[in-house]
Amino acid sequence: MPLTEERLDATFTALADPTRRAIVARLARGDATVNELAAPFEMTLPGISKHLKVLERCGLISRSRHAQFRPCHLERAVLDGAVEWIEEHRRIWTERFDKLDAHLRDIQADPARYQEGT
Amino acid sequence: MSNDQQTAPGELDFTRVFHAPRELVFRCMIDPEHLTNFWGPAGTSAPVERIHVDPRPGGAFETVMVNDADGSEYPTQATYVEVTEPERLVWKEAHSGMTVTATFADLGGARTEVRIRQVNVPEMLRSPEAQAGFLTSLDRFADYLGQLSGTSAR
Repeated sequence: MPLTEERLDATFTALADPTRRAIVARLARGDATVNELAAPFEMTLPGISKHLKVLERCGLISRSRHAQFRPCHLERAVLDGAVEWIEEHRRIWTERFDKLDAHLRDIQADPARYQEGT
Repeated sequence: MSNDQQTAPGELDFTRVFHAPRELVFRCMIDPEHLTNFWGPAGTSAPVERIHVDPRPGGAFETVMVNDADGSEYPTQATYVEVTEPERLVWKEAHSGMTVTATFADLGGARTEVRIRQVNVPEMLRSPEAQAGFLTSLDRFADYLGQLSGTSAR
């Protein structure tokens, strides 16, 4: 597992909000300052800052400590980790259900054989 | 609508239609003799003697997935939260705290739709009102995120 359960939980929590998803989508195109991020939303800077703090806390974004305008940067590894988690579990259920599909076909084709087996 | 305290992860929403009556599909999910045939995803198996199922609220749902290639084992210990035959199964995994809800819909003509929702729900968010907010099918969002991740920034 690339991420701890706790970290993943925080990441999904952060991504459950549409504004924060939009911020993440914007940052996927490149780094941006808080002002640039606030522009498309009818939100105050403190409002945006609150969302950025949530994204920063789970590690999805980072902000330079030194640059004057402290541009926000998307941490792709964390985003990838969240995607991987979902993909992994979707894969497990897909493969499980492929097998269940085959199993259901078997037992319905020959119910007697399954009864003998139990 | 949602603030930092109230949002919560909606993680996986997965639906599949089977050509079998609902009662049978439901039985498959709670009977070790059936489960052993499909519980382990590709490349793994789920030995029947290591599946423990006590299908009632508070009862055990324990499985082990064994990697066919190297024998490594992935045990999962869960507890049933709800067992409503043949409509609904809910269990909670001890280690991850993840709650899985399986619903079984009779589509008629011996077809059954199974919907799996996997949510890691913090205890304080267990109300139906709170849940409505986070069952946002983030797995569909995953496709979108995947696109973003694949995009090179510059």
